[in-house]
Amino acid sequence: MARTIQVGFVTPILLFLAASAWAQPQAAPTALVHYSFDDDLLDTGPDTFSVFQFGQGSVTLSSTQRFSGYRSVELRDVPGDHAFPELQGYFPLRTKGKLYLHFALMMTDPFEELNIALAGPKWFTLRKDGIGFWLKTANGYLTEVSDSMPKKLFLMRSFVWYVFDISYDIDKGVYDLTIRQDGVEAPVAAVREHPNAPNQPGSRVDKFSFIGDHDTDASKVVYYVDDVLVGVDEAIVHQRFAAPGRRKLFVDYWLSAQRARVSRPAPLPMMNLSDLGIGPAETAALRQDQASDLLGGVLAGTLSEVPDTVAQRSQAILRSVIAWRAGSAALKAGDAEFALTQFDQASQLSPSSTLFQMDAVMALAHLGRWDEADRRLAGIAPQWRDDPRLPATLAILGLARGDLDGVERQIRDGAESSGLMAEQYFLTLLWKGDSTKAERFAESMLARGSAVDRSWWSERLGDAAFLTGDIPRARSFYEASLAEHTQPRSVWLKLSDVYFKLGDIEKERTFRERVYGGLRER
Amino acid sequence: MRLGLYLMLMRNNMSRVPATLFLFTAPLLQQPAFGEGNSAAQLQQWVAGHNVAAIRALGPPALPQLVQLYKEAGNDEFKARVAQTFYELSWKSPEAKVALMKDVHTTNQALRLQVQWALGRVSNDQDVVDTLLANMRSDSNPLFRDKAACALAYDQIHLTEQQKVRLFGALIDALGDDKLDVRNIALLALQIHTGQTKNFNPGAPLREREQKVRLWQQWLAQYKSGL
Repeated sequence: MARTIQVGFVTPILLFLAASAWAQPQAAPTALVHYSFDDDLLDTGPDTFSVFQFGQGSVTLSSTQRFSGYRSVELRDVPGDHAFPELQGYFPLRTKGKLYLHFALMMTDPFEELNIALAGPKWFTLRKDGIGFWLKTANGYLTEVSDSMPKKLFLMRSFVWYVFDISYDIDKGVYDLTIRQDGVEAPVAAVREHPNAPNQPGSRVDKFSFIGDHDTDASKVVYYVDDVLVGVDEAIVHQRFAAPGRRKLFVDYWLSAQRARVSRPAPLPMMNLSDLGIGPAETAALRQDQASDLLGGVLAGTLSEVPDTVAQRSQAILRSVIAWRAGSAALKAGDAEFALTQFDQASQLSPSSTLFQMDAVMALAHLGRWDEADRRLAGIAPQWRDDPRLPATLAILGLARGDLDGVERQIRDGAESSGLMAEQYFLTLLWKGDSTKAERFAESMLARGSAVDRSWWSERLGDAAFLTGDIPRARSFYEASLAEHTQPRSVWLKLSDVYFKLGDIEKERTFRERVYGGLRER
Repeated sequence: MRLGLYLMLMRNNMSRVPATLFLFTAPLLQQPAFGEGNSAAQLQQWVAGHNVAAIRALGPPALPQLVQLYKEAGNDEFKARVAQTFYELSWKSPEAKVALMKDVHTTNQALRLQVQWALGRVSNDQDVVDTLLANMRSDSNPLFRDKAACALAYDQIHLTEQQKVRLFGALIDALGDDKLDVRNIALLALQIHTGQTKNFNPGAPLREREQKVRLWQQWLAQYKSGL
């Protein structure tokens, strides 16, 4: 489901009251999003909407069909193109309370499939925090997906506008839905307290989407959407827009994301079997017990239980690895409490494994239990002294606790010798506010790097220049990076920032819309 | 892991065709129609090189030639490549289904996995789902059981709602299997389809499991009645 239009998360309440009076939510909610598609504020971006027009389908403004005002959005899907057009909008993550969704929709042929959804951080999957609310058409019927099953609502008519009002109760995991046909007072459908799509209370939402079909690629649906409004039952303090379509500059978003990435304690990569406490003696035991293949299965994730027939000594080895894998998966998923129990269980079964113990430290760091993390770290540090993963691990721990000076000291000496360490060192300098030192370091890396490295370090130099306020210099580094970049998405966005700062709105939009798409009349 | 990757790519609706793909395929549109000249060799080359975009640009008329390539493949490795191509194209094809079904019990690991994954993408015939269910429950190789469940969870894209009811019924039935791993993967497949577990614990005592299975059966009855 894609991204499109935005008008103002801060749009005054009067604006959305301009839509048809009966179609408004019962309470007077605060608008999170309102797209009437009639004004000029159609800037795509991470805080507004995106338009996806891959394949042969399209998402365009239409002035021939509209419910109110003088324009709507037309979505046109093409079968067999292995893609679908999408209008996807974003709003601040809602974790509790109620959320109101309102929109008007008209189809040219209801027998073609469309899908409309509200979803959360787990995107458009049918599970908690994934799809919360889901409507689709099937065999001409508008259908809701509630409690993981499709339920027919009514047979739709072609070229008739329908107005939808949904009150989505996040805490209870239910919704009320009312659909009215344009010009008809009685609703054509009204349901109360239906379970949300996956029947999961507390399923969070932060985006909506309008698409054609997503699986069979058979839909040639053409439909129109107007007056999209998302509101809440409580006031939300919004940040102002820093630039078109975004509340922070892309450079700042990028830096925040990098910091979140590298400072999140995560399981360490396994380098060899001895990390798991499996030395020559254990290997021999596994072989004698004919359990070597089982170990392979455990490591590949295809085996999660040890047959009772396996000898005790090999059982302990295998179970320790199973527990460690479960802990790693949990830590990656953010469940550090469970991860810690698994790592500790693995350590009990295989006390000689240094990796299990270090991963337990990472889980403790994730939980912010620093005293215990430090105590355990001190206990295993001698065994890790010569391990190449140690500096990066300590840096992650330092970043997680916000000790930037300590991190810089920790990785300064080895920074130039390793790509990952160099990246981390550079970012640490930026986060400390030492852009000049960061720039000098990036220049030294640029001078010695390969073509790919040069592209990467040119971008980093652009970052440093941007943060010191030297925008023309940032532009030249970003452009140099672009010439050799294999995945230039981040550079495009940063160039959009650059041109915003330089006052070149056309180029600002050109680069931004390379990533988020744009909305135009056909 | 394929499940995770596919989940991310497809279910998150992030399965976008890269823009660069069209740069590559655009020239193909001006080439002679498929079937002329040296096209069979070209197709073979594209399959071997995993150039699915080029094959997709030819459209479904390429299917008979692909089926022929599969049937005449000299080795299982190339067959697996063709099966993977069927999977990615996701075009319904009775001929492809017949060809793939002949290898749905092969012991060649790469070929078996590709065949199991591709079948639901070329056909919604009942025997496809039945065969995958049988593999999920009874294959002697746990990997093949697991990946059959994976195919049932993600790849049955052409099923009608009635066929889905039948599939869900069979998966719910598999929650009562004697083998723990079968109960595990059946639950996982159901969870992927529905986002729910109904608190079924595959390792719980029989009586507790039976109670939860009844909840699933009630859910299925409601599903059926709404169609």
